[in-house]
Amino acid sequence: MSLTQLRPSPQHSAPPVQQSRAKLWLYRFDTRATPYVFIAPFFVLFAIFGLFPIVYNAVVSLRTWRLDEPDKDGWAGFANFTKLLTDSDFWNALYNTFGIFLLSTVPQLLLALIVANLLNRKLRGQTWWRIGILLPYLTPVVASTLVFSVFFARDNGMANWFLSLVGFGQEQPLDWRADKWSSWIAIATMVNWKWIGYNALLYLSAMQTIPKDVYEAAAVDGAGPWRQLWRITVPMIQPVVVFTVILSTIGGLQLFNEPMMFDQNPQSASGGSAHQFQTIAQLIYKVGWKDLNLGYAAAMSWALFLIILIVAGINAGLTKRIGGDR
Amino acid sequence: MKRLGKATAAAGLAAALALTGCSGQKLEGGDKGGSGTVTLKVAFWGDMGLDKLKAEYEAAHPNVKIVLNSGEYNAQHEDLQKKLVAGTGAPDISAIDEGFIVQFRSQADKFVNLMDKGGADYQSKYLPWKWQESMSPDGKQIGLGTDVGGLAMCYRSDLFKKAGLPTDRDAVSKLWPTWGDFINVGKQYVSKTGKKFVDSGTNMFNPVLAQQPVGFFDTGDKLQMDGGPKVAFDISMKAIDAGLSANLASFQPNWDQGFKKDQFAVLACPAWMIGHIQDTAPDQAGKWDIAAIPGGGGNWGGSWWTVPSQGKNIDAAVDFVKWMVAPEQQIEVFKTVGNLPSQPDLYKDPAVLDYKKEFMSNAPTGQIFAATAAGLKPQYLGKKAGPTRVAVEDVITQVQQGKLKSADAWAVAVKDAEKAANS
Repeated sequence: MSLTQLRPSPQHSAPPVQQSRAKLWLYRFDTRATPYVFIAPFFVLFAIFGLFPIVYNAVVSLRTWRLDEPDKDGWAGFANFTKLLTDSDFWNALYNTFGIFLLSTVPQLLLALIVANLLNRKLRGQTWWRIGILLPYLTPVVASTLVFSVFFARDNGMANWFLSLVGFGQEQPLDWRADKWSSWIAIATMVNWKWIGYNALLYLSAMQTIPKDVYEAAAVDGAGPWRQLWRITVPMIQPVVVFTVILSTIGGLQLFNEPMMFDQNPQSASGGSAHQFQTIAQLIYKVGWKDLNLGYAAAMSWALFLIILIVAGINAGLTKRIGGDR
Repeated sequence: MKRLGKATAAAGLAAALALTGCSGQKLEGGDKGGSGTVTLKVAFWGDMGLDKLKAEYEAAHPNVKIVLNSGEYNAQHEDLQKKLVAGTGAPDISAIDEGFIVQFRSQADKFVNLMDKGGADYQSKYLPWKWQESMSPDGKQIGLGTDVGGLAMCYRSDLFKKAGLPTDRDAVSKLWPTWGDFINVGKQYVSKTGKKFVDSGTNMFNPVLAQQPVGFFDTGDKLQMDGGPKVAFDISMKAIDAGLSANLASFQPNWDQGFKKDQFAVLACPAWMIGHIQDTAPDQAGKWDIAAIPGGGGNWGGSWWTVPSQGKNIDAAVDFVKWMVAPEQQIEVFKTVGNLPSQPDLYKDPAVLDYKKEFMSNAPTGQIFAATAAGLKPQYLGKKAGPTRVAVEDVITQVQQGKLKSADAWAVAVKDAEKAANS
């Protein structure tokens, strides 16, 4: 608008050429550069808090940096990365992370979809329900994990009490932290509890943009609710599904708080007595701040970064296929 | 009237000038960190009995302001480590515990070397091993010791009575001259009451290891699993096999619950543990008592005051540290929270010797802990003692969880300890 009004003005008022040129330049600057100025704060902050740490981490990962042996500091080349390949702790942590990731992400997104589908109908107290499912997301993760930690306690834990009601573990209570499968389930439960509502709300907002007549037509053609969900809803909210899949992949692979606080002995960061549920993020923390080997920890962080990029890419590709490409 | 008005105006002006002059001076002093007001931030964990001392010191030194920052034990040490790496933000004075002192003394260049600040005069006042533990290999002294954790055995006299065991502290001490006897007493207790005797196998392992002449590492920082660790590990396995352990990890919610639910009847306790028992189970006053520890001696924990060299008011901080470790203040701390001083002269002080702890059935805690602390033999803590301990403790936990048979556990412990030592 302003540009079209401005253009004829230099021709009309010839004498004050300089001033109008300056004005023109200012307006050009305004239209071309202002958008960049407006989005700059994000990129400046990202450069400081996102890009710089990533680059600095890469530099550190190529160095020997041990806090307990300052005299050994120096360039290490790829020694930290080659050490990573043969480190059984790293592979065990990777295995745990993927195990917990599968146990949490898949049920979480499926349940979120079903919950969103239910909330998309006409319900009494609609807003109340919708806000209610978001409450776990608002709870600080430390607080909820502490409660879950007591819930899954070996002695006097509620989870074991429920199990005893159905006849399990009466003679020997289940020690949830002792085995891989039980500790994974416990941790995945915490993650699912927290994120189902959040994802459901995202799905719900996407579902509300789907026109009603599509469903009506499908109902006329004889498609039941289940079929409508998979044939109409999911393909039509596919962009949001891709978004949640990527987000929960990142979150799942960076899992830290839950396994950390679930541990019997959190200060050791060992993720169980035999590292049953030690995730990579936890291992990075342990190597960096318990073993004081910052160089090696940085190499692990970079490995995790690459793994997340790859897995998130694969997952996004898969979800796109599941959705609308048919 | 006019005159009076002028006079008041002049007086007011003078007062205003004085005020601004005064505050100006203060501000200047604060910026320079020299002659004016100095703020000292002191970081520690739990209760080190500083509240009263702070008021006293501030009254005697109007230009010094002390800010106390009490946090969680691990968090405080980790925070200090991060700020040392960052080069800024560390407290002016930081407490460091025995469990972390090796880690920090190997970064001695990040602390004020107290030998440059008249610290040498203090060497003769301290237990020799306490002095040595905070010293870097090249002879820099990073801290002045505050307390030590000489070991005794706390027990629940009410539960002992129910189990038909003696309750008098001397009689109880006679029950268990060795750890073998201790396990036998435990078996009796378990068979009589059906309850567990000790909190966990790791809390058997650690005190026994502390009593050995050589711990995980010899003075050359070489892992020595077949010496002390093997002895301690075998005793903890015996206790677990005999069903004495309640399998509770120390300082965790389950452990604190265990106090209240009588899940164990004894607890290896250094002087500072009494404060923890008192805070966790305040209703058990008079139900706890203290006997000698089987095997005799051993140390668990104890702290130093250190001054990170990045601070702006190093001299004022060093002065405050020196004041805190002076005899009067050390005795004051002992009386308020029970932490036992690390200067042997104080063990002869009547204020320590005559002290009786009401919560622990009026046990003469001063005498008991002074006796163990004076008889302590130093044990070298290697650079990797911390992670190695965690690795072996994890193996003991695996046995308690039934994931590992006690007969096979030692081989796993050696393997994991070696890995931790080389990490």
